[in-house]
Amino acid sequence: MKQRITYIVRDPDAFTPEQLVVKDDFFAVEQVSAAKEHRITLGLSELPEELRKAFAQWHELHIRWASGSPYQAAAPFTSRVSPGLHVFYTPQKTAGDGRLCPLLREIFDSSLGCESPKESFIKMPILSERFSMSASSQFYAPVHTLSDLVHYIQSKLCPPSSAFCTDAAATLHSASYLDMDFDAISHALIINAFWAKAPNASAHWTENISLRGPSDTIEIGVLNNEQNPDPEDIAFAGFLTVLGQDSQPKPTRFQTPTRHYPLPSSKRLSYRTSFAHPTGLHPTLVLTLPERNISPPDSTCKLHIHLTLPRTLFIDKYQFNDALFLSSHHLKSLRSLSGATDLEAPDWVIPQWGSAALFELAVPGSASPDSRIDPGWNVTIPMHLRYLPPFPDSGHRNLEVPWPVVFWACRAEEGTKMSNNPFDRIHLGYEALFGPKTRFMHATPAPIGNGTGRLVEVIQVPVLDVGKVKWVEAGTVGVVLAAFFGLCWILGRKSYAMGVASVEEEVRERKKAQ
Amino acid sequence: MGFSFMFRSPATVFSAAVILRIVFLVYGHFQDAFSPMKYTDIDYFVFTDAARFISHGQSPYTRDTYRYTPLLAWFIYPTTWPGFWFSFGKVLFAVGDIVAGWMMFRILRSHHKMSTSRALKFASIWLLNPMVATISTRGSSEGLLGVIVTALLWSVLAKRIRLAGCLLGLAVHFKIYPFIYAASIVWWLDGDNKSQGRPRRLDTTNSPYERVRHFVNPERVILAIHSLVTFMALNIVMYSIYGFPFLEHSYLYHLIRIDHRHNFSPYNTLLYLNSAPGTHSSASFELERLAFVPQILLSAVMIPLALAKQDLPSTMLAQTFAFVTFNKVCTSQYFLWYMMFLPFYLPDSTLLRSRITGATALVLWILGQAAWLQQGYQLEFLGNSTFVPGLWTASMLFFVVNVGILGIIIQDAQRKKSIPGRTPPVKKT
Repeated sequence: MKQRITYIVRDPDAFTPEQLVVKDDFFAVEQVSAAKEHRITLGLSELPEELRKAFAQWHELHIRWASGSPYQAAAPFTSRVSPGLHVFYTPQKTAGDGRLCPLLREIFDSSLGCESPKESFIKMPILSERFSMSASSQFYAPVHTLSDLVHYIQSKLCPPSSAFCTDAAATLHSASYLDMDFDAISHALIINAFWAKAPNASAHWTENISLRGPSDTIEIGVLNNEQNPDPEDIAFAGFLTVLGQDSQPKPTRFQTPTRHYPLPSSKRLSYRTSFAHPTGLHPTLVLTLPERNISPPDSTCKLHIHLTLPRTLFIDKYQFNDALFLSSHHLKSLRSLSGATDLEAPDWVIPQWGSAALFELAVPGSASPDSRIDPGWNVTIPMHLRYLPPFPDSGHRNLEVPWPVVFWACRAEEGTKMSNNPFDRIHLGYEALFGPKTRFMHATPAPIGNGTGRLVEVIQVPVLDVGKVKWVEAGTVGVVLAAFFGLCWILGRKSYAMGVASVEEEVRERKKAQ
Repeated sequence: MGFSFMFRSPATVFSAAVILRIVFLVYGHFQDAFSPMKYTDIDYFVFTDAARFISHGQSPYTRDTYRYTPLLAWFIYPTTWPGFWFSFGKVLFAVGDIVAGWMMFRILRSHHKMSTSRALKFASIWLLNPMVATISTRGSSEGLLGVIVTALLWSVLAKRIRLAGCLLGLAVHFKIYPFIYAASIVWWLDGDNKSQGRPRRLDTTNSPYERVRHFVNPERVILAIHSLVTFMALNIVMYSIYGFPFLEHSYLYHLIRIDHRHNFSPYNTLLYLNSAPGTHSSASFELERLAFVPQILLSAVMIPLALAKQDLPSTMLAQTFAFVTFNKVCTSQYFLWYMMFLPFYLPDSTLLRSRITGATALVLWILGQAAWLQQGYQLEFLGNSTFVPGLWTASMLFFVVNVGILGIIIQDAQRKKSIPGRTPPVKKT
């Protein structure tokens, strides 16, 4: 087991090296205000047999989970995904999918709408086969907490009676995001958890880290984001410690090209998401940005929104062909739409989880920095609801829609070197929709969230109330049958009368003729 | 009447009809150019997208929700050319309207023996109807069906049976539902009456063999052969080019669709309830699956048998009215299907003769629709769960109103003498 723990110090002025203690195979941080990333690399042989067998069948699997609570990112960990569980998966050409869905249900949420990758996953849109670094299929589910995962790790992965392991797993409860990556080439499972801040009242980390086994390695970095010397790089200075090797923290300084680049503080962009009320059957998502901050950090930058839509909500791509329509919604174009996009089907006949969309946004022409009140730049995206099944004793059902992610996508000179960044994060669902020479600068969701501090919007979907339908079947059939027989009677009565009349007439005429 | 001068010559009415459509077309062009709210019907984008796929050598079914024969996309192929050609389809549909109106006028003149001005007045129900002009200039294909079906009626009345057969085959290939007209046309083509004006022979005296032989007269055989050959030839050609998706989207989809989205159909709520998983009561026999029985019995069997020999146009109106009213899906474009027969039926109908009946029927029809639309608005735009009782009650009421009107139409058709050309003159209103 290899571990890498990185602290990104929030306030370099308040940090002193005395807050770090190193002794043989023991490391401690005391009262450090920082964001933290904990990366664990496990060989397949270190996993229980159930998982080992399952992983052996897959080509690649990337899990991205993000908390529904707003968090403050810290470079180099600025990339974002919509809150919830995202799974990116490529099967092996010859093997089946094995127990992917049952395992996901067991690990993340027993009510996960995952039947099998073939049914529930959607195909990833791929911009260019040649440069594709994307998995072939995608799944999403609104998983709010990692408590099932914590329980799974504690009961299935931790050695019995290892308080250390149990406690370590429990720290996931407060993680801002969690990644899990496996691919058949490296044959390793990488688990990567990120905390924007320490989960205690003071938001300071005080931790002891020690080596547990002879084959373990732990590398600990306490870093400070330096002013960038190169426009495309980010730079860090701080201390690196390899447990068991270093007797004291080793000063370090390095810089690296990065795919996800922090926005300069003058251009910081925070966004809010809501739905225009009333939502009806055609909800309109409203993205609000502060108008005066929307200026591209670079002339090559284009503002984008990436939406993760549960299947009950969908986008009609044909609406977004017209330039006038697009500009009236402050949109430039629908760049990509994949997944369950059927325009007519009700919710219950769609097997996939939903769809994912990428729009390029229009930006205000000339911002007026003088005006005191920022009116806000509203981008609106019209959507449609599918019919949900009738529901007992309620005319509405709640639909949760995760907040989208919003970012500038800019041209980068040194695209290929980005993967050299030790903190590079890919498989987010949208970066493969851009060329390899693209860097992303993310807007931050407003800390207030939807008003209750969550990055999830709730739509009330009107449904048929089963409690009220007692008479619908009998009533419909009764009225239709009554109408039918009434019309039959009108048709028959007169026809019969006329038939008799015409026969009588003919008989009379024949008699006359005789 | 202040407008009576208008109806003196066909030139005035048809010029007005043409100008009306040109105004709508130009207006629509401007609205599309300057407003994000489009005048052009969504379906028109479906057709033109499909035509574009065809022009790239692809299947029109590459376009989602294209549920029509590829013929339609071929008809509007010029819309793929640049510039103003995009509106070619709308112009075609609008011209179709005018041609249909011309044929209505001819039928009213020659078969209903009307004076020019009276025929023009009734043809204007179609020609000068803003709803009809709007639908075609917005680019809905229902107008094209109007011209095919009116041409069918004209050719039958003019005894051009070969042409009628081809048109019937084409119409069914286009929209399926015109198959109901086969029954009334066949029944009407009873070699003995109409053209010769002789009284019907007393069938009861004939042997079954003779009755069958009598039924299978040359006209009926010609009609059957021509319609079947046209229908099958079109299908075979389309199937050979576009394969299964053609069958799937232009036929099977319409036959197996269970459209749960709210619409005017009385079955709507029941279909929503019973098509969703887990809510279907075990005691129910899925009665909605039998919904086609009253619909087909009325529109394709009973109404043709009872009425076709009295008055073919009114019979076709009643058939269409029954088909639409009892359909599992009903949206307002379906109302156009029967509107094309109103000019033939209304002249000596109870709805016009008895002002009270006519006004009551019209008011109830509008109220029924308004009530439904109000409930639909609450659901669609305000998100209120009006499925039950609001929307369901409204659709049942609208259904009852329609059935009532259908009853009047049937009774009117029954009153007619068997020769359409010999309807008694009616006092001018």
